[in-house]
Amino acid sequence: MRDPYSVLGVSQNASDDEVKKAYRELARKYHPDNYQNNPLADLAEEKMKEINEAYDTITKQRAGGYSGSSSGNYGGGYGYQQSYSSASANPVYARVRNLINAGDLNQAEQLLYEVGQKDGEWYFLSGSIAYRKGWLDEAMQNYTLAVQMEPSNMEYRQALQLMQRGSMGGYRPAGYSSAGCDPCTAYLCCSCLTPWGGPCC
Amino acid sequence: MFGYVRPCRPELKCKDFDLYRATYCGLCRCLRRRYGLIAPMLLNFDFTFLALLLWEPEEAFSPCQGRCHGSPLRKVPMCPDSPALEQAADESVVLAWWKLRDDLRDNGFWGGFPARTLSWVLKPAYQKAARRRPDFDRTVRCCLEELSCLERENCPSLDRTADAFARLLQAAAPCGGERGRVLSQLLYHLGRWIYLADARDDLKEDKLRYNPVAARYGRSGNDEALKLTMDNSLQLMGAALQLGDFGCRGPLLENIVYLGLPLVQRAVFDGSWSRIKKQKIWRNDT
Repeated sequence: MRDPYSVLGVSQNASDDEVKKAYRELARKYHPDNYQNNPLADLAEEKMKEINEAYDTITKQRAGGYSGSSSGNYGGGYGYQQSYSSASANPVYARVRNLINAGDLNQAEQLLYEVGQKDGEWYFLSGSIAYRKGWLDEAMQNYTLAVQMEPSNMEYRQALQLMQRGSMGGYRPAGYSSAGCDPCTAYLCCSCLTPWGGPCC
Repeated sequence: MFGYVRPCRPELKCKDFDLYRATYCGLCRCLRRRYGLIAPMLLNFDFTFLALLLWEPEEAFSPCQGRCHGSPLRKVPMCPDSPALEQAADESVVLAWWKLRDDLRDNGFWGGFPARTLSWVLKPAYQKAARRRPDFDRTVRCCLEELSCLERENCPSLDRTADAFARLLQAAAPCGGERGRVLSQLLYHLGRWIYLADARDDLKEDKLRYNPVAARYGRSGNDEALKLTMDNSLQLMGAALQLGDFGCRGPLLENIVYLGLPLVQRAVFDGSWSRIKKQKIWRNDT
């Protein structure tokens, strides 16, 4: 395993606060919210695991052999893929979801096209496939149709909102906020979006 | 290509500006050494970005002094030849050649006269570059053919046409491995973004020709929807960038992706791009 300090990018004699700060910044960077439905989600998940382990190791070492997980383990409960597990009434849709999760988009697309009746879920899945391929315009159209057909479904609405939020949703390193948007106020007004659920400064 | 990919100079640190300039000058020299005196004509910001992306992260920035092609009396710092610069140089020659062939076919016999002269001059360079990068050569030819097919049949899908160009650019980086996956996702969305920005920029001029934005949203376009989908591509590029290791070139790449591209996008939408694109970023007159 790599040296936990170099994983977090701090020196051996950094203070506890510095370690924590570095950890939080990295956790914000690789947070599952930034990689939902992203084809690179597995890489982000690995990075997250790595920094969680590094932070745990350091805190354990510093506490003198105290055992037990001390990091909040950001990313534990979220899951990097959109929760495609929600059981589908239709067995074909369940298979399509599995295929999307496995990254086999061609097969998923083919299977989906064999379905005759197009309902909300059909459009949602078709949108998810488009999103994975990077066809964002078609993803948006399909998500919109899915929400129109089943306005009460939270899964579809969440997917659409994520797309409409656009560039506001992603991670940016400090100092790279879009012009005219002060990072601090931006974080205060959507403070619940930070991984630790509070304002950044 | 089109020069859309440039850093936001006021926000660059001095060291990053030096790095950018030395990479740009290094690419110019690399083109000249590999393909002769006319090759630096193909130099542009987009391929400088590509060279920065392709560089091995461990390699430090250590410029040497070299004579500038534009004003040979002056010596300027430039990056010495490296695999990344060579790849970017080869690929810019291949892409320039196929773009020219494309223009030739579009413009007919007389309209294509300047392009034909140019392609005659460029042919030896292209043949050399195609021998060095046969895979990229093949992909570019296929993708551009596919693109012109879609244009001929007036394809209404924005994503389908943009996909052809995006796959073309995606082929500019080696795939496979963790790094390959990150680079291909980044370049795919860069290609998509460039294609859409170019289409939006040409919207007013393309009265008769095919324009993907017009085919999707109508002649007057729909800036709000287009901005949303372009922003999504930018966001996916940013997410990919964070997963890769780019060493000392990271901050410069972040400047380009997080500040440079959005700035250009705004300029394309409000129509000031035609003025801005002529500005050299080296002079401080923005």
